[in-house]
Amino acid sequence: MTVAIQPRQDPVARETLIELRGLRIAYGDVVAVDGVDLTIGAGEILGLAGESGSGKTTIANGVMQILRPPAHILDGQILFRGDDLTAKNAEELRKFRWRNVSMVFQSAMNALNPVMRVGDQFVDMMRAHERISKRDALLRAGELLDLVGIDQRRVRAYPHELSGGMRQRVIIAMALALEPELMIMDEPTTALDVVVQREILQQVRDLQAEMGFAVLFITHDLSLLFEFAHRVAIMYAGEVVEEGPGLVLRDAARHPYTQGLIRSFPPLTGPLERLTGIAGAPPDLASPPAGCRFHPRCPYCVDESSTLHTLQTTVRPALRAVAPDHRVACHLVEQQG
Amino acid sequence: MSQLQPAVEPELVPLSVAASGRQSRFHLPGWLTIVLSNGKARFGLALIGFIVLAAIVAPWVSVHNPTDFNILATRQAPSWHHLFGTTDQGSDIFSQVMLGTRRSLILGFSAALLATVLATTLGITAAYSGGVVDEIINFLTNVFLVIPTIPLLVVISGYLKARGMTTMILVLGLTLWAFEARILRGQALTLRNRDFVAAAKVAGESRWRIVFGEIMPNMISRIAAAFVLVFYIALLVDAGLEFLGLGDNTHVSWGMVLYWAQTNSTVLQGEWWPFFFPGIFLVITVVGLVFLLAGIDEVSNPRLRNLKVPKKAKK
Amino acid sequence: MSVSISAPLEVRGLTKYFPAGTNLPGRPTSSVHAVDDVTFALRPGTVTALVGESGSGKSTVARLLLRLYDPTAGTILHDGANVTSERGKKALLAYRSQVQMIFQDPFGSLNPVKTVRHHLARPLRIHGLAHGDDVEARVLALLHQVGLNPPEKYADKYPHELSGGQRQRVAIARALAVEPKVLIADEPTSMLDVSIRIGILNLMVDLKQDHELAMLYVTHDLASARYVADTVLVMYAGQIVEQGPAERVLQSPLHPYTQLLLSSVPDPSAHERERIEIHKGLAAAAIDPKPGCRFVDRCPLRIEVCSHITPELVAARPGQSARCHVTAPSPQIREEIHVDSTH
Repeated sequence: MTVAIQPRQDPVARETLIELRGLRIAYGDVVAVDGVDLTIGAGEILGLAGESGSGKTTIANGVMQILRPPAHILDGQILFRGDDLTAKNAEELRKFRWRNVSMVFQSAMNALNPVMRVGDQFVDMMRAHERISKRDALLRAGELLDLVGIDQRRVRAYPHELSGGMRQRVIIAMALALEPELMIMDEPTTALDVVVQREILQQVRDLQAEMGFAVLFITHDLSLLFEFAHRVAIMYAGEVVEEGPGLVLRDAARHPYTQGLIRSFPPLTGPLERLTGIAGAPPDLASPPAGCRFHPRCPYCVDESSTLHTLQTTVRPALRAVAPDHRVACHLVEQQG
Repeated sequence: MSQLQPAVEPELVPLSVAASGRQSRFHLPGWLTIVLSNGKARFGLALIGFIVLAAIVAPWVSVHNPTDFNILATRQAPSWHHLFGTTDQGSDIFSQVMLGTRRSLILGFSAALLATVLATTLGITAAYSGGVVDEIINFLTNVFLVIPTIPLLVVISGYLKARGMTTMILVLGLTLWAFEARILRGQALTLRNRDFVAAAKVAGESRWRIVFGEIMPNMISRIAAAFVLVFYIALLVDAGLEFLGLGDNTHVSWGMVLYWAQTNSTVLQGEWWPFFFPGIFLVITVVGLVFLLAGIDEVSNPRLRNLKVPKKAKK
Repeated sequence: MSVSISAPLEVRGLTKYFPAGTNLPGRPTSSVHAVDDVTFALRPGTVTALVGESGSGKSTVARLLLRLYDPTAGTILHDGANVTSERGKKALLAYRSQVQMIFQDPFGSLNPVKTVRHHLARPLRIHGLAHGDDVEARVLALLHQVGLNPPEKYADKYPHELSGGQRQRVAIARALAVEPKVLIADEPTSMLDVSIRIGILNLMVDLKQDHELAMLYVTHDLASARYVADTVLVMYAGQIVEQGPAERVLQSPLHPYTQLLLSSVPDPSAHERERIEIHKGLAAAAIDPKPGCRFVDRCPLRIEVCSHITPELVAARPGQSARCHVTAPSPQIREEIHVDSTH
């Protein structure tokens, strides 16, 4: 049975769930997120792609308000339905977390308590948020496991009795327990095999269609996002450099970094030719390059005499729309119009 | 810019200049320069230096014979005449502590060295070899762990005719190695499973070179800490033996002063000096060693070295 | 007329069982069949990809080839000579000068308290390939060869001062130091950033061509296997279930498991995807396997005989074989099925 890849419906009248305005977060002196504007609409899957050091996990932690010192918010706002999250006190945040927004961490399957049965961990979590009897909580746990494709009887299992993929699904079930409006998934399938990854993503997509929650999907695997997400934002060195519908980026990415990333994936079908990838390595955030942060690695930043080059090396490009739903931060793209 | 020439690497934070021993005019070995450049280590070295100095000048500075009894001068608080006061028998505590420094340092250091060498060799070998060798060494370790130290020492000391320094060192070293061996074995076990050990094996390294050349350098912090711990315990155990009369009676040590202080219930009588002075010397030595450990940490873990490079030093 | 040249490295019937689950006296009650009857040869100037999920046994195969474990059964042939039970120091050293490995974790495979120079100089010294000043020259040449320029700058660095890609290049340089004939790469790019991976893969392809290396590329990523490999071996639960030329296996697979893998890889250029069945049981660990195909629980093509008789590797097409009663039946099975179906 085949499933057509949905032409991503344009989410015209989507209510904005999360809005980041000019967000800047630093670890001590090092700025990891430097002026990010991003929105996530209700029921939308937003993919956030970037390599290590791009700041994507920091943003996730920021939205969940679980940043711990030395991480702190330097500037900007994180709005949930218009409410500024940074202004909330600890008690309000506690209620907010998991109920409105939940998170599936990287290698979360290792976050399960090894000496507690899976069902009991559900009970723990649910009773922390609502008044519910242990029996009801266990019943609900069973339902949730079934929802993610695990036999209900596994409620009595210990984590080590489950495979990595199953544990990850347990974590996802826990994240869905309180029916949040947004689920953040930070590299949820990176440590898993490709078949298990496919199973989990298939599951999440089915659940999302059924329950209508939004997803912030963070990964370095761009090809996953093109298949899975409605919109994709590309991060590099703490900034968003391109943003738009997944299929638009796949076919017509404008930013040289996005193009380079796409060229870094060897194709499974079609002609086989030598790929060039992207030269160099991600920058040290303690002292990022001046101007456009990608310029040392950019194939379009070579002609030292041109005014473009001066721009690229001194002025940080801003995100500008090249199409109604497609924004790029690049001097060259601006010049080309 | 091709993929084979990632020449546009960002400028990485350079190693602190101190790490490159070649640049020092006096040609100090690299590791020593690193240790010296750490503030905590310098402080530790200063403390230890003070103690070592005390040990060296002791014979000239101790005007009184430490074992002299002087009924007329018993229980005197510190004064210019008796800098550290006197004991219940009228012996000068200053002389006792100063002369005792030498003995305590040598004893503590040697016993710690012996115990640490044993613990390191046996611990890492057990971890790396596994199988029968591991079982044998574990058995040995458990035997030594289970036997209570003081009674064992009592028995051994009771049988030995000569109870000089060497004997004490051997006895202490041979009874104190076991618990550190177990800990070091644990750490070595985690290192053994790391890929770089497999890589060394694949490169053709011999077993001993892997144990001492690849695994051990990663454990220097823990080994140094083991050394300091055994040093401290050795001195205290020695003091205990003195108390039981099984120690080396001919020479004075800090432990001896401490235990005579205890037997004579000096604190109950409001006399703080018999405890304070030997105690403070012991504390200074151990604290000095602990601070020195911070410097050793930096040598053994290169990751800690870069933290000091100030931003303005970067190009 | 062609003269048969013995492959630099070949394995026949390679098998490795690990004990699992002990009863009270400590005797193992069951065993994990990590590697079961694996046969292949590595040829100079080619890359053979060993593809499979975690738990398939592929990493164990790599470690067996490196002689880090001893096989339970089977033979390892080095230049035609049987070295399986060779334990002598000199023989082992000679082997290690010919067969080298790049590990998955670039940080873990380098000693954190040693410089890059140490990592490259040691193999040279151990195998007596350079002495005195020569060593430094060789070290710098190796760094240059893997693209770490200027070499002098990198020689003094510690692993934590390098990026992931640089560390992996150092690991490659170390492996090349002894000028091996065989290079085994165990998932060398899976822990690297995406934009760095292609550089390492390209380097591997260049080295294969420039040095006529026989390479084994262990991976779970089919796309990168297609990019670098000439031959593909697919492993499942310890067995090779399909093998053949890379293009053939990946474009027209025989075994249902290969098909499953291909359906699972993200391919954004596809317009449709197969929906896959969720596997509700535990992961396939081959513990005390019964006779029969190990993929039977997940296989959409399964027939009666699959649960009873372990399929053999059969060449259903020239050069391409699979372990499947349905798509690559052996002559006896074909008869049996034919006989059955006529009843």
